[in-house]
Amino acid sequence: MKPPISVVIWIVVALVGAGALGGIAFHRGEPLNATWFVVAAGCCYLVAYRFYSAFIAARLLTLDDTRATPSERHDDGRDFVPTNKWILFGHHFAAIAGPGPLVGPTLAAQFGYLPGTLWLIAGAVFAGCVQDFIILFCSIRRDGKTLGEIAREEVSQRGGFIAQLAVLAIMVILLGVVALVIVNALKSSPWATFTLAATIPIALLLGLYLRFLRPGRVLEASFIGVALVLFVVVAGQWVADSPSWAHVFTLSGVTLAFALIAYGFAASALPVWLLLAPRDYLSAFIKAGAIFSLAAGILLVRPQVLMPPLTRFIDGSGPVFAGKIFPFCFITIACGAISGFHSLISSGTTPKMILRETHARFIGYGAMLLESFVGVMAMIAACAMTPGVYFAINSPASIVGATSDAAAATISSWGYPLQAQTMTDLASAVGEQTLLNRAGGAPSLAVGMAQIFSSTIGGPRLLGIWYHFAIMFEALFILTVLDAGTRVGRFMVQELGGRVWKPFARTGWWPGILISSALIVGAWGYFLYQGVVDPLGGINSLWPLFGISNQLLAAVALVVATTILLKMKRIRWIWLTLIPMAWLVIITMTASYQKIFDPNPRLGFLSYAKALAAQIAAGKIPAAKIADTQRVIFNQRLDAAVTTVLAAMIIVLIIEALMQWYRILSSDPKSVLHETAYVATRWPEDFSGASYAGAAVEPEAPAMEG
Amino acid sequence: MRSLQAAVPDHMDKRRGLTLSISIKRLAAKLWLGIREWCGDSAYERYLQAPRNNPEKSSLLTPAEFYVERVNRRYSRPNRCC
Repeated sequence: MKPPISVVIWIVVALVGAGALGGIAFHRGEPLNATWFVVAAGCCYLVAYRFYSAFIAARLLTLDDTRATPSERHDDGRDFVPTNKWILFGHHFAAIAGPGPLVGPTLAAQFGYLPGTLWLIAGAVFAGCVQDFIILFCSIRRDGKTLGEIAREEVSQRGGFIAQLAVLAIMVILLGVVALVIVNALKSSPWATFTLAATIPIALLLGLYLRFLRPGRVLEASFIGVALVLFVVVAGQWVADSPSWAHVFTLSGVTLAFALIAYGFAASALPVWLLLAPRDYLSAFIKAGAIFSLAAGILLVRPQVLMPPLTRFIDGSGPVFAGKIFPFCFITIACGAISGFHSLISSGTTPKMILRETHARFIGYGAMLLESFVGVMAMIAACAMTPGVYFAINSPASIVGATSDAAAATISSWGYPLQAQTMTDLASAVGEQTLLNRAGGAPSLAVGMAQIFSSTIGGPRLLGIWYHFAIMFEALFILTVLDAGTRVGRFMVQELGGRVWKPFARTGWWPGILISSALIVGAWGYFLYQGVVDPLGGINSLWPLFGISNQLLAAVALVVATTILLKMKRIRWIWLTLIPMAWLVIITMTASYQKIFDPNPRLGFLSYAKALAAQIAAGKIPAAKIADTQRVIFNQRLDAAVTTVLAAMIIVLIIEALMQWYRILSSDPKSVLHETAYVATRWPEDFSGASYAGAAVEPEAPAMEG
Repeated sequence: MRSLQAAVPDHMDKRRGLTLSISIKRLAAKLWLGIREWCGDSAYERYLQAPRNNPEKSSLLTPAEFYVERVNRRYSRPNRCC
């Protein structure tokens, strides 16, 4: 008997994927073509989606399309809106895709292309997608409740509180670190600074347009906005070429940090329709356009990956950030493989809009696969430049030196040849004064993207335009995360403050708005400032802290998912969430321990503080710099304290969960599942959630004549 | 091939062309609808269509009120990820 054609096709896809993965893993010597990465990732995603996600949907969750979803039961046209699955996929993807999957893989490229690429693919398939999918399912079965509410109901009151605290912690650290990425991309760059600054009046203009001229006409406003943004990318070159204007927009890191703090405060306190919402619309279109253009560019250009599969820095001595491949490759990649923040989206807007339970597979699992693919593209873009250039852009001056000559000598001595002239020429070609010491991932990703784009359109002549387009694209949606996150953080602070003094929780009360905005901006602003003045570049301390908090939140989400699966009596398949959870706990705890206690001053917060204190005591620090050094010492101790609190939170949560799991397994009647009661759907099978408008615009079919 | 084409009557050929152009128009209309839905352009129409709003048409929000209420609600919870 012949096997069905689909079986043959899937065997071929699996074999091609395995072959491409094997090619990436075992290839040595000559540079590898990026096509291998695209094929390996694409085939793995297809197989994982077709089989693993189907298995989870059928065996683990037993998705049920006869059950009415929250969007049917509570349809109010506001929060609960039955939405076509393709459109909701777009919504969900736009919400989960932030700067993390671009910056994380770019930084992790210091270990070589291999570890990061393998974790991006395997981590997404076995952990990230599973988390997003199951939390989405859990929220759908609970009327769209948030992760904190679900944790409170299913794990314990304390578990819910820890989840809320983890969200606030990750928010503050996330905002500080993404702001630092922008600062490092914009400092001493009049072109990039002007372009980004100009997006603020453009957003204000769109805000007024959408509020007063054409209320809610998002599409036409976005078209106008995108055209204006593209114009200011080009106009930035004229500003950079004008000595007087270039001087105005050439700002230091500290000045940019204060400008961002002021911007964050304004975005949080001003009406949301004026600045935040229109910027988000702009960002969504540019983000979608840039990501699809990058994918198309990689497929068309098929660049050579020049970075070796493994670099010498897997031993922990990397110049971009310190720490060995385990656990820091996983902590650094973060969002491209698994992100705790996604569980907030999966238990936020998406479950309230989903049409049918089975759509959770496509939206929850599928959107995370796409995000992982964005991470793979970022890895390709970073590894497509010569390793010497990559390290020159991403290493701090304290390690490679502040001049092209010093950087070239240091990096060449590591075995990655670099000419000083190469960096000078590259900076000139992209319209920058220098590209040295721009840790943070954004500039090196922009160089990689610009090289790919200019190979498709415009050639070297347009390298500068493409570079600044890429910087604008990254900075624009980082700013969106910054202002949206600050506002959400403000609400959290108001809610917490309201427990102490009730009027503080009123979201329309101006003193409350101003104080809570100042508190949240002050918190992330402090981390930003400490990163800007950190002699080791800031990213070395803050990105791992962000990674730890992000993976901690993912562990919280997987603890909640495991608890719910146990209550659903899915004990046989519990390893599907238990193994990724255990892995996250191991990497989070190991990274936390190393960041706090490692004796290497570049890695351990406390040993760095101790080394600096010893230098002051030995009189090695000039008197003028003692105050600054003491501030750095305080910051290192603060980071150690924050890391300790994060680690303690996961330990408490695990203990809470273990107690709950014991109660479940010993059939304690108090351990009940808190799902909403079954209600049969009244929608016909072919209802797609878009019928109201589709009928109005679909052209009539022609009358068939004989 | 040529002889086969010649065998197709003219009116059949025209009808095929018409059907193709309508299929393209339908596809374009669907795409347009999808983009409008994705970016929130059709949110107000959605709101008017929502079953819970039908019995109380008199208390419906205006487009401007709805827009402000929608963005206020949307940006009061995590909706953009890292």
